[in-house]
Amino acid sequence: MLKYTLKRLFRSLVTVLLIVSIVFLLMRLLPTDYYFREDELMKFTEEQKNERLQAEGLLDPPLVQLGNFFRNMVQYQIKKGRTYSLDQYIAAKLSGEGIDNPKNAKASWVFNLGYSRRIAAGQPVQKVIAEKFGISMRLGLISLAISLFLGVIFGVLQARYKDGVFDHIGTAYTVFVNAVPHLVSYSLILIIGNQIFGLPAVYSSRNEAQSMILPVICLAMGSTAGYMLWMRRYMVDELNKDYIRLAKLKGLSTTKIMFRHVLRNAFVPLAQYLPYSILLTVGGSLLVESFFAIPGMGPMLSQAIPRYDLNLVQAIVMLYAGLGVIGVFLGDLLMCLFDPRISLIGKGEAR
Amino acid sequence: MKKILSLVLALSLVLSMALVSSASAEKITDYVDYQTQANEIEYWCIQHSQGAVDLNVLCNCIDGLLTNDPKGALIPCVATEWSANEDGTVWTFKLRDNVKWVDYEGEEMADCVAEDFLWGLEFVLNYAKNEAANTSMPIEMIAGAGEYYEYTKALAESDNQAALDLDLEKFKEMVGIKAVDDYTLEYTLSGPYSYFPTVATYSCLSPISGALLEEIGADGYRNVTYDTLWYNGPYYVSEFVDRSYKILTANPLYYNDEDELFNTVKVQMVESADQAFLLYEAGEIDNVTLNQANLTAIYNNADDKFHDYLVEARPTKYSYQFHFNYNRLNEDGTEDTAWNTLIANENFRKAWYYGIDLTEWLARTNFINPLSCENYAYTNTGVAVTSDGTDYVDLVLKEIGLSNGTGTYARYDADKAAEYIAAAKADMEAAGVALPVKAHYWIVSGNQTALDSAEVLKKCVEDQLGDLVELQIDTYVSSLAQEVRNPHLQSFVINGWGADFGDPINFVGQETYGEDNAYYSQYYSNANLATDENLIAAYKEFTDLVTEAKAINGDLDARYAAFAKAEACMIDHCLVIPAYVNVGWTLTKVNPYSQIYCAYGMMSYRYVNYETNSDGYTTEEIAQLKAAYEGK
Repeated sequence: MLKYTLKRLFRSLVTVLLIVSIVFLLMRLLPTDYYFREDELMKFTEEQKNERLQAEGLLDPPLVQLGNFFRNMVQYQIKKGRTYSLDQYIAAKLSGEGIDNPKNAKASWVFNLGYSRRIAAGQPVQKVIAEKFGISMRLGLISLAISLFLGVIFGVLQARYKDGVFDHIGTAYTVFVNAVPHLVSYSLILIIGNQIFGLPAVYSSRNEAQSMILPVICLAMGSTAGYMLWMRRYMVDELNKDYIRLAKLKGLSTTKIMFRHVLRNAFVPLAQYLPYSILLTVGGSLLVESFFAIPGMGPMLSQAIPRYDLNLVQAIVMLYAGLGVIGVFLGDLLMCLFDPRISLIGKGEAR
Repeated sequence: MKKILSLVLALSLVLSMALVSSASAEKITDYVDYQTQANEIEYWCIQHSQGAVDLNVLCNCIDGLLTNDPKGALIPCVATEWSANEDGTVWTFKLRDNVKWVDYEGEEMADCVAEDFLWGLEFVLNYAKNEAANTSMPIEMIAGAGEYYEYTKALAESDNQAALDLDLEKFKEMVGIKAVDDYTLEYTLSGPYSYFPTVATYSCLSPISGALLEEIGADGYRNVTYDTLWYNGPYYVSEFVDRSYKILTANPLYYNDEDELFNTVKVQMVESADQAFLLYEAGEIDNVTLNQANLTAIYNNADDKFHDYLVEARPTKYSYQFHFNYNRLNEDGTEDTAWNTLIANENFRKAWYYGIDLTEWLARTNFINPLSCENYAYTNTGVAVTSDGTDYVDLVLKEIGLSNGTGTYARYDADKAAEYIAAAKADMEAAGVALPVKAHYWIVSGNQTALDSAEVLKKCVEDQLGDLVELQIDTYVSSLAQEVRNPHLQSFVINGWGADFGDPINFVGQETYGEDNAYYSQYYSNANLATDENLIAAYKEFTDLVTEAKAINGDLDARYAAFAKAEACMIDHCLVIPAYVNVGWTLTKVNPYSQIYCAYGMMSYRYVNYETNSDGYTTEEIAQLKAAYEGK
């Protein structure tokens, strides 16, 4: 198992680096005009633009830029002094030159993904992301917990009373959530929550708990419907199987059948995506977060791309790719726990 | 009895509501403004920024030498007096002695003195520190600025850290700026620039506290954030939540007691115009610019609660023009001789000028009052004002014999148009050009609003000039410059220009012939590549007039009169044809005529001396306020 895990993690690392390299190079193929803002574009001459691009090192060949990006990923930084990339550091040590730190200032190794150009100009990107992902994760986890709880309960109930009134109400809800455009339902929630219940319409750090209520409802609304739909479906599938009939004939109580047997089996396909969903909360929600002005991760990628905030785009892609790979891996492990028939090792390579 | 009782109850309810509402119409002390999330601040370093998204915030935080009033006139900021020597090459500014730097908690950090302006300019001109941002105006105007920039650039290329470590020694030696004493600042210019004080409102001449630079270093200042920045303006930023909101708190040590400030200003970031409207309705924000859908709904429904509160905004800072391309190429790189011959023909351009009634197209921007968007001059209103208070644009309009606000589209003249169309047709036949010629108009792909507008424009053009041109709407993917302008694919582009400083040269200087820094004639019209002799002669005539006007420096009235003549010449030859200005509709609790309004610079969002009404202004009230403002 350990060997399998290590192998898989190594492969994941290669995948992530490959993705980052591809994204890095693709970003460099875009027209350079959009490195500037519209009002800058209107005023700058070609020469001024080139000066700016040159100053930021964006006129180097893309492969050189990629090389610099990986080279500088780990840096030795001296406070108010020089910064060494890993190879420079080793070279300085080996050549006997030593590290240039005359004032003996504080120095440390840092993980460096570059600086944000526009979204938070001049800040290290990992800091920008660190500031944001906490809030997205909190919001996401709360709504995931709520929707998982409600979704599974209602899904089970729907399956239990299939074709009954409850089932129809549940189906109507699912259809409503999926058919009505999100922005419309969010606007509805905003108006009802704000005008009738007096809840804050936008995020405020001074009143965080209250201002999170409407966003959590919006987020949970959609995924609850999803869990309901799939839970019901898998449960109904399972209910028609022979072993359930047998259990019924043997006189097991309905509750016991539903929760001990049907639920456990029906949950396997959902369990596979659970770690992924949990990890994905880091990514936040584009729509909900921008609608309620929540300073989270959700809208960041879509804002960073048109602004050519290259380092930030790379870091976010790296994060998402990493999360995706780990999520799938944990999902596979979890599936093994739920379903003893599945094994990841032994029969050659798995997924 | 029941009936009477219920009547009394209802009446008392209505009365109490009326009382409550009349009692609540009061001044706002904590104002809430908004921006869409796409317009979040990016650089807190004012010297690095030339973008409205940053300067709309920072103009409240870092005070430079001068600012503007609601009519655009220059008024004191940190400097109280300013004057030039006889030939206009040395400008002296007297500074206040009570200006303080405070941090993001409003704690006093240092005094703001003349040397802080030296640190500011050094930062701008230092290639390593400011990465070539914001240098164009200082390099053009201030003696030695260009040389210092080149010096730092050379230094940075050999030793970046050394350039970052530069102090004021070399700078003082090379650049024409001097702190005579702590409260007197002197600029030596590279020539007589009568409009230099208008540059003193802009970010390139903003100060930096020398003490702050010492604390966080040039690198630290370039990447400064709101909680490390020092403030000397009316507000400091006490809280900033990225893409959510920011709170500006009145600076307790603000130097000017006469300015009226809000206690706090919150700038709420919103996802879209629709959401902004929801928030205005919920009372969360104090003004909103309406989009087409909301405006239509409110305007067409007399019972809508906002129906009587629609307020027409003031024109934005940009003046939009039709920039013709005199050297159009086909996609295969060959010359489009048909278009180039047609557009070089003055009769055709005049047919365009007189023959196209743009009212229907203007309605795409403002369907209630399309003519609010009319624009007959090249320069924007508010760029310069003569000594008797006449706006420079009025001088131009007088020269070309048109005026705004006549209630019809003033430029349209059917008789003249017919004459020029016939003449252009004859000319084209003689030149062997097959009519109609295709005119390529490029819009960004996937934008329905742009497409709808383009279709209306096509109709406006072809209704009148259909025999001569056929307007073809083409689309580009992301970059107009890369995909269209660089390969010369456009027949014309409609683009807006906003001024950096208050002088007509900032506008007409973009259109001259044979000058590399004339932005539009060089990059949009490709005028320098034109071959038609008449066209070149017209350009030269105009350029000569500009050169003459530029030379007049002492007497501003004479200078503006000369520029007006030059601009009229350009419009008369239809080298460029004015298109529109942007005027939208809002709901607002602020009197727009109490806000700073200036066509150049960065002061439009300075939250000082706002007149407010917590109930919102009605259409009627604003009409009265506008009349009072215009009568002032």
